[in-house]
Amino acid sequence: MDRRNGDASSTVKEIIRFENVTRRYGEGGHILYALDSVNFSINTGEFVVILGPSGAGKSTLLNLLGGMDAATSGAILVDGKDIAGLPDDKLTEYRAAQVGFIFQFYNLIPTLTALENIALTKKLVKQPMDAHEALDMVGLADHADQFPAQLSGGEQQRVSIARAVAKNPDMLLCDEPTGALDSETGLAILEMLQRMSRERGKTVIIVSHNAALAEAADRVIRIRSGRITGIAENPAPKPVSEVGW
Amino acid sequence: MLTLKMIRDMARNKMQFVSIFLMAFIALFIYAGVGGDWRGLKHNSDSFYRETNLADVWLYNDGFTDAAALAIESLEGVSSVERRLELTVTADNSGSSTLTLYFVEKGAISKPYLMEGEPFDPEDKDGVWLDKRFADANGLTPGDTIGASLSGYSMSKTIRGLIYSPEHVYEAGGDAMTPDFAMYGHAYLSRKAFPLPFLFRYSAMLIETESAVGADFEERVADALRGADSSYTVYLEQANHPSVSIFENETQQHKMIGDLFPVVFLAIALLTILTTMTRIVASQRTQIGVLKALGFTKSAITRHYTAYGFFLALAGAALGAALGPLALPSLFFPSLSSFYTLPEWETAWSVAYAWAAAGVAVMCAAVTWLAVHRLLAGAPAETMRPKPPSAFRHNPLERTKLWRRLGFNAQWNIRDAPRNPVRSAMAVVGVFGCAALVVCALSMNDSMLWMRVWQYETINRYAAKLAISANASTAEIDGAVSEVNGEAVMEASVEIRANGVRKSGALLVTDGVTLIQPTDVNMKPSAFPDGAASITLKMAQSLEVRQGDTVQWRVYGEDEWLELTIGGIHREPVSQGLTMPRAYFESLGLEYRPTAILTPEVPPALPDGVDFATLTSDSAADWDDLTEAMRLTIYLLIIAAAILSIVVLYNLGLMSFTEMERGLATLKVLGFKSGALRGLLLTQNLWFSAVGFALGVPGGLWLTRTIVALSGETFDFPVSIRPLTLLAALMFTFGLSLSVNMMFSRKTRRINMVESLKAME
Ligand SMILES: Nc1ncnc2c1ncn2[C@@H]1O[C@H](COP(=O)(O)OP(=O)(O)OP(=O)(O)O)[C@@H](O)[C@H]1O
Ligand SMILES: [Mg+2]
Repeated sequence: MDRRNGDASSTVKEIIRFENVTRRYGEGGHILYALDSVNFSINTGEFVVILGPSGAGKSTLLNLLGGMDAATSGAILVDGKDIAGLPDDKLTEYRAAQVGFIFQFYNLIPTLTALENIALTKKLVKQPMDAHEALDMVGLADHADQFPAQLSGGEQQRVSIARAVAKNPDMLLCDEPTGALDSETGLAILEMLQRMSRERGKTVIIVSHNAALAEAADRVIRIRSGRITGIAENPAPKPVSEVGW
Repeated sequence: MLTLKMIRDMARNKMQFVSIFLMAFIALFIYAGVGGDWRGLKHNSDSFYRETNLADVWLYNDGFTDAAALAIESLEGVSSVERRLELTVTADNSGSSTLTLYFVEKGAISKPYLMEGEPFDPEDKDGVWLDKRFADANGLTPGDTIGASLSGYSMSKTIRGLIYSPEHVYEAGGDAMTPDFAMYGHAYLSRKAFPLPFLFRYSAMLIETESAVGADFEERVADALRGADSSYTVYLEQANHPSVSIFENETQQHKMIGDLFPVVFLAIALLTILTTMTRIVASQRTQIGVLKALGFTKSAITRHYTAYGFFLALAGAALGAALGPLALPSLFFPSLSSFYTLPEWETAWSVAYAWAAAGVAVMCAAVTWLAVHRLLAGAPAETMRPKPPSAFRHNPLERTKLWRRLGFNAQWNIRDAPRNPVRSAMAVVGVFGCAALVVCALSMNDSMLWMRVWQYETINRYAAKLAISANASTAEIDGAVSEVNGEAVMEASVEIRANGVRKSGALLVTDGVTLIQPTDVNMKPSAFPDGAASITLKMAQSLEVRQGDTVQWRVYGEDEWLELTIGGIHREPVSQGLTMPRAYFESLGLEYRPTAILTPEVPPALPDGVDFATLTSDSAADWDDLTEAMRLTIYLLIIAAAILSIVVLYNLGLMSFTEMERGLATLKVLGFKSGALRGLLLTQNLWFSAVGFALGVPGGLWLTRTIVALSGETFDFPVSIRPLTLLAALMFTFGLSLSVNMMFSRKTRRINMVESLKAME
């Protein structure tokens, strides 16, 4: 089951590659490099954790990868295709088909019920997961008709995961998905995300402040002041539940 | 420090602030502008009447003696009396113009108002003071001489001065509705200038009263005259004088517009300001909490926010109040002054403008104050936290099968609209206001066009109407009729009374006429009743009579009242009164004498016995001139409606956009295309527009009816709107609504997903 422990490198397929990616803010004397010539790659199905202090450029990296922001220079290859130079509508298609985003503040549509938030995906991809099934997957089958404001933070985040997964994307990009939750609920969310990687083969990338999470990751990317300070592959990642959280 | 914050905030919320400023500006611009217009008309005419001492009552008969004048002068409440001889003559200038001559006793009541030349001298035997507009149209100046023939005696006088008469603000001469200054004029002369002293008699007596004329005045006048062995045939009070009443009608129409539209504008402006300010304050919720936590007092914070609304609204309103009265009257007055004669056309100022401007600013401040006050009531910690999202309830519609079929767009918007009921209501009201104004403007235009067709194409089937000379012989008339292949009719002015109401109107006596096509109450071609009198619908309504009822009537100037039974009701747009066949007229013992000949084609030359011709095509063109002021109002309304709705819709669009931005950004991250997002925004907007428009159509028609009710008793003004026009109004309203929306479509493309979703707002 756990393909990463096998040595059959032929089954390892690269899905993401950053080549000299730079994201610069400002002009003239006030230039700030949110990302400065970043290089790394990620394989299909990996559970990746990006670690770094506040302001390091983690969100920037994730946003570039998700096609929500444009790189100043460099190439971002997804499945061998450079998304850095794509026009707006192509980026939208890319996001719809390949990216599932999970935010710190859930970002559910307040006017739609839990089920409807997930059912939105029907408008985006040809064969989304059934909304009920997705809700069931995150254990919220009983809350289908509740509006976000009627759900707890953890439940909202589970709905947002269900929504991201329902699109059946190749990767799940999670920016501090547990940032607004207590540790117990956060743990449950992380377990769920790890399951998405292990059981459904999704590439899951999580931005976190929590160094302990490194033990659970297949790959850990450390970043500081817009530069990669270390990339570590973890041959024997632990289940999230066993990590000291 | 807070001032700096205010300036930064204003820069950030530019559009919303600009819109508050604009709304206050437009509302006051219209209010004070139309106010300057109708107040100006009233003020200019009132001061003209005052300066020239316009008569309060006119009496006519064939000669008032000194004793009669004395009897009236000694009546209680009468301050002075003056007599004059009124004569209509044909002037011997290039054309054969008609001049009304006033040979006056003193020239103290209804004084000529000197525009050029020497002041009026009641002793001058050789001078004449001529109507300036007549003089201008005929190229006459002081020093020139002008002659006229008077009962076969030709006289010639030197023009001493050019004047305006308060009795000729509206020059009612001739058949046409627009004055013809070259053909009709008037002149003042001393009674001593009358060339045949032995024939002189005072045909009119002008009375100046100390205060308003009481209801019993006519009776007292009659009594006094009886005591002096005299009587009158016509008694006319100032309000009923044709020139006075027509101008008063015009003023009233303008006042009506001035009362009605600004209210619509003010209401919409206030609503917009209200929603915008509430919205701005709400968006500053956390900031207000922070300011409070920093230790600013409640009143400092309240003052800070209230100042935004107050100064912006005040600036806009004050500018509007200052510019409106300067700009709008100068738009209306040129066309009015080609129609009416007043020595001055000036806008009028009123403290009401300042009050209204202050009122708008205060209302705006009050709304802001309320909004901030509510927020400040909470503890700082609570205020600092963003407002918790309101809980959603499922609406009953969701239980139905239909809900599933509605599609995402509809579902989203059904849920979203009630989230902010004020905004939704505003959107509807904004579109309603716009649609009502546009429908009102277009239906007014349609009605005027319809009346033109109705009168000058359907009813008037003649190409020209020839006025028969007063002294034409029967042989001449018969000759003229056959020469132009025409039909003779008799026209006269009549008084009609029934149910205690007395009205003046027009009489038409027909003699087998085919060139007039009567129309029934539905404005469809019909026929006059055989051997009976027919009354116009509007007249019947004023007199509260129906077919089969009896009314009393008499030709103007006759003493005896006659009775007739209404044999039919027909409808006419521009003149109200009675129509009857010659045989019926004669059976009442009245003498039939044709006054006009209708001709199927414009005759190449005027036959003998005819004074002049009025072409139907000219009358139709006159109608266009007459409705010119109305048309200006219409353009103004449409422009105002457009600005109004652009501001309201833009503002609302901005609000709903900011409110939905986070949701839209989320959808965009999920992979929704910009077009789909635009569709979401558009759907809601279109719904509101549809509701607003549906309400706006009856609203606009109501507005038109209210205005039209003031168009005077001679006009039968059916309010109509053609389906095509309705479509145009629909397209205009939706077009605006859509194009304002397009401004936001660009914004959906530019939504910055990273920034929109960065923090919980
Ligand atoms: N719109 C912007 N304009 C200018 N600088 C920006 C902008 N957005 C981000 N930055 C800068 O880019 C840098 C990286 O920001 P980023 O949001 O990626 O940090 P982060 O690692 O996600 O931090 P955190 O853990 O606090 O979320 C920061 O120094 C930030 O100030
Ligand atoms: Mg971040």
